[in-house]
Amino acid sequence: MLSFIYYIREFLRPKWITTFFTARTPPLTTPPYFRDFPELTDKECTHCLACMMICPAPEAIIVTQHEGVWRPEITKGHCIRCGLCIEACPEDVLASGRILAYKKEEELTLQGTFHIEINQSTCMGCGNCSVACPVNREIDPALRSSGTSTSDEVIMRIDTGQNKVLHEEKCTGCKTCEDNCSNKAIRVARVVEALQGGEE
Amino acid sequence: MSMLQYLKNTVRSRSIHVAYVNVGSCNGCDIEILACLSPRYDIEQYGIYVHNNPREADVLLITGAFSSQWEDKLKPLWDKIPHPKVAVAIGNCPISGCVFNRPETLVDPPVSKHIPIAAEIPGCPPRPTEIISTILSLAPIIFKDYEETKK
Ligand code: SF4
Ligand code: SF4
Ligand code: SF4
Ligand code: SF4
Repeated sequence: MLSFIYYIREFLRPKWITTFFTARTPPLTTPPYFRDFPELTDKECTHCLACMMICPAPEAIIVTQHEGVWRPEITKGHCIRCGLCIEACPEDVLASGRILAYKKEEELTLQGTFHIEINQSTCMGCGNCSVACPVNREIDPALRSSGTSTSDEVIMRIDTGQNKVLHEEKCTGCKTCEDNCSNKAIRVARVVEALQGGEE
Repeated sequence: MSMLQYLKNTVRSRSIHVAYVNVGSCNGCDIEILACLSPRYDIEQYGIYVHNNPREADVLLITGAFSSQWEDKLKPLWDKIPHPKVAVAIGNCPISGCVFNRPETLVDPPVSKHIPIAAEIPGCPPRPTEIISTILSLAPIIFKDYEETKK
C-alpha cells in the first residue's frame, strides 16, 4: 500500500510528467570527426588523377576543369565516403573529418602497382592484347606494323602459342588489353600499398 | 482548415509508420536503420514506428540496388500502402547501384525507375541521424493537410 502511494507521488512530479511527454535524446548532431563526403580545401589540384585511380566506387569522383582550374568533383549517391581519395591526393586538395590530420601525422602515402593475370584455359593465344597495349607498341615499334614481337622488353607477348607476361612492372593500368580480349581472359588488377612514416 | 483536418495533422505528425524493404543490399544500410531504433537515436520518441507491414505504413524505406527478383514484387508492395504514402531511398544502392553497379552484374538501379521516390539519402551507409532527419523533414510536406492539397 505504501509503495503504491510512493508510485503515485513519483508520477505526479511535474518534472517527471514533462520529461515523459517531451522526452528527447540529445539533438541530432554530427560529430566533427565524422568522415563525410570529401570537401575541397583551397589547395591547388594538379590534375594527376590519383584520386580517380584509387576510388573504389563507380563514377564517384571526376576531375574536371572550370575556367582553367582543375578540381575534383564528388557525386553524392555514388561516393561511399571511404576517404581513399583524400589519402591518395599528393596535394591535399580534399579533406574530410580527421583524415588529413592523421595522413600528416603518419606520413601516409599510397603506392600502386598493377598485376596482370591471364587465364590460360580461356586465352587462345591470339595476341590481341599484346598488340593493343600502348606500352608494348612504344617499346617495340615492330608490333605496330607486323603485329608480332620478338623483343624481351615488352610487357607481354605470345611465345609458343601461349601469352607470357615478361615485365609486369611496366604496366600503366590502362586496361586496353582487357577491352581487346574477346574471351575476357586477361585481367589487370591494381595493387595498392599504404606506406607509413615516409618510407620508400 | 476544418477541425477534422487539424486533428488529422496533429495525429499524423506524431504517428509515422514505417516499413522497410531490402531489394538487394549488402545489409549495411539495414543495420543503420536498425540503429535508429536503439536508445541512442530512439526514433519512437519522434512518433515514428516500425511495423514492416505495408498495409499500415506511411513511409517505405528502400535499401538495395534492385536485384531482378524484385521486378514483379516491389510495385505490388508499393500499391498495397494506403495513401498518403512516401518512399525514401536509403543509401547509394537505390540511387546508383553503389559498388555493385558494374558490368555483368544483375542489379538494375535506380529504384526510381520502378516506383516514385520522394527523397534519397546518399551515403554508404548513411548515418542514422541523416535517416531520421530526412523522415522528419519529409513527413510534414507529405502528410500535412493531405486531404486538402490532394484535390
Ligand atoms: S571518398 Fe572514396 S568513394 Fe568517395 S570519391 Fe573518394 S575514393 Fe571515391
Ligand atoms: S584532387 Fe589531388 S589526386 Fe585528384 S587530380 Fe587533383 S591533385 Fe591529383
Ligand atoms: S593495362 Fe594497359 S599497359 Fe597494362 S598490359 Fe594492359 S594494355 Fe598494357
Ligand atoms: S549503400 Fe552501401 S551500405 Fe547501403 S546497401 Fe548499398 S553497399 Fe550496402
